[in-house]
Amino acid sequence: MTRDNMETDAFLSLKNITTTFGSITALDDISFKIKKGEVVCLIGPSGCGKSTLLRTANWLTPPDKGSVTLDGFSIGSKRSKNMSRKEMTALNEVRARMGMVFQQFNVWPHLNALENVVRAQLVVAKRSRKKAEDKATKMLHDVGLEDKIYDWPDNLSGGQMQRLAIARALAMDPVLMLFDEPTSALDPELVSEVLNVLRRLADDGMTMIIVTHELGFASQVADRVAFMENGKIIEEGPPNEILKTPKTQRLRLFLDKLNITAFTSH
Amino acid sequence: MTLDFSIFVEYGPHLLMGFWLTIKIVIAAIILGMPWGLVLALGRRSRFLIPRLAATSFVEIFRNTPFIIQVFLFYYVLPFYGIRFPAEYVGTLALAAFGSAYFAEIIRGGIDAVSKGQLESARAIGMSDWQAMKNIVLPQTLSIILPPLTNQTLSLIKESAILSTITVHELTMSGMRVQGEIFRPFEVFIMVALLYWGLNETIAILMRKLEKWSKKGRTSNQDSAETLKKGDVVR
Repeated sequence: MTRDNMETDAFLSLKNITTTFGSITALDDISFKIKKGEVVCLIGPSGCGKSTLLRTANWLTPPDKGSVTLDGFSIGSKRSKNMSRKEMTALNEVRARMGMVFQQFNVWPHLNALENVVRAQLVVAKRSRKKAEDKATKMLHDVGLEDKIYDWPDNLSGGQMQRLAIARALAMDPVLMLFDEPTSALDPELVSEVLNVLRRLADDGMTMIIVTHELGFASQVADRVAFMENGKIIEEGPPNEILKTPKTQRLRLFLDKLNITAFTSH
Repeated sequence: MTLDFSIFVEYGPHLLMGFWLTIKIVIAAIILGMPWGLVLALGRRSRFLIPRLAATSFVEIFRNTPFIIQVFLFYYVLPFYGIRFPAEYVGTLALAAFGSAYFAEIIRGGIDAVSKGQLESARAIGMSDWQAMKNIVLPQTLSIILPPLTNQTLSLIKESAILSTITVHELTMSGMRVQGEIFRPFEVFIMVALLYWGLNETIAILMRKLEKWSKKGRTSNQDSAETLKKGDVVR
């Protein structure tokens, strides 16, 4: 890992990212930065590349071109299959400090709630079991799962599973959290319990990138909203400007469509 | 004709000796074959070409040739290269190699049946490939692969009868010897069949216990386990 002085102003910086899947260009020469403590919401129609952008940040989907740096340290600039063992280890260390939360929760069904939060602390952070369990208990308490500590994921609701996934990520003491449509797979009545946890994280000053369709939520917690379409960031800025007075026709159309669905579904 | 089972007073011990050897051979073949099958399965999923190619070739060769031919090749070809083992060792080795090819495919199918998100979430939290496999994917694979693994183990036990063709004195061979001395094929082979059946049934019951244990606290993996049980496996 090498220190790059040019990037010290940005906490996380994605530079000139191009990603293609076969003939489809998911990300088209995108650059994206986030400052420490900033909360950025990525919005846009499905297939616009917002999830891919998020997955580029921790190199889960390595791009064809471009580089990512976190706090000045390079995360990656090549395909993972070409990476040396040393580069892989460095990448794993950076990943441990970036929490990721998935649309489909991806909690581990063969481990109970406590063990879900404990396992990576033992294996990756090399904490003692006692320390990991204390931390896990605290994290589960923070997301409101204190009475579900020994429950199996199969017995949890979607909202509880997602909160478990958030606790699992937070237990690693991340400096940055990535959320990939954290509420899209939830029943409507369960959305707010997850958004409340996110809201509290934002209040605590966590740096977050959130891919979401919840515009109301975005306008409340985001410092910045970025609108993406066809693998590019079309428009970005403070939520008031972006969501209330969109400059581009495309964003206007997108917002109109969402507002209509919002009305019809509520 | 009347069946006379009193012959087993004299010849029973001989059959039981063969039965005991069959048990030993099968257990040794499983102890060798299952870990090797895991190695092959991981090899086939490797991101490096050479292990992938080696594992794939091994599995394809042993899966697509008759076991009896493999046994003959092991038995007649190894000594040609100066490797001389007693027949039961060669037979065990052949059985392990043959079984491992099937075990590998079952394990690989099990790994693939665990959703991709499971591996991704493990990698995203900083686990290495192997840590993610060991902590997250393989434990979930276990409950999926146990039913087809049971099937394969049972069929391996039956397949071990073929080792009688290279003079291994296991159960089938013992049966043929006894029959050759007293010419009572019905009694002898009914007894041989019963012994195989008893062994298989015992193993099936034990594996079902293990299956239940592996699913503790969970229900969601049952679907994929059922799918694998019905499809795939056994020729």
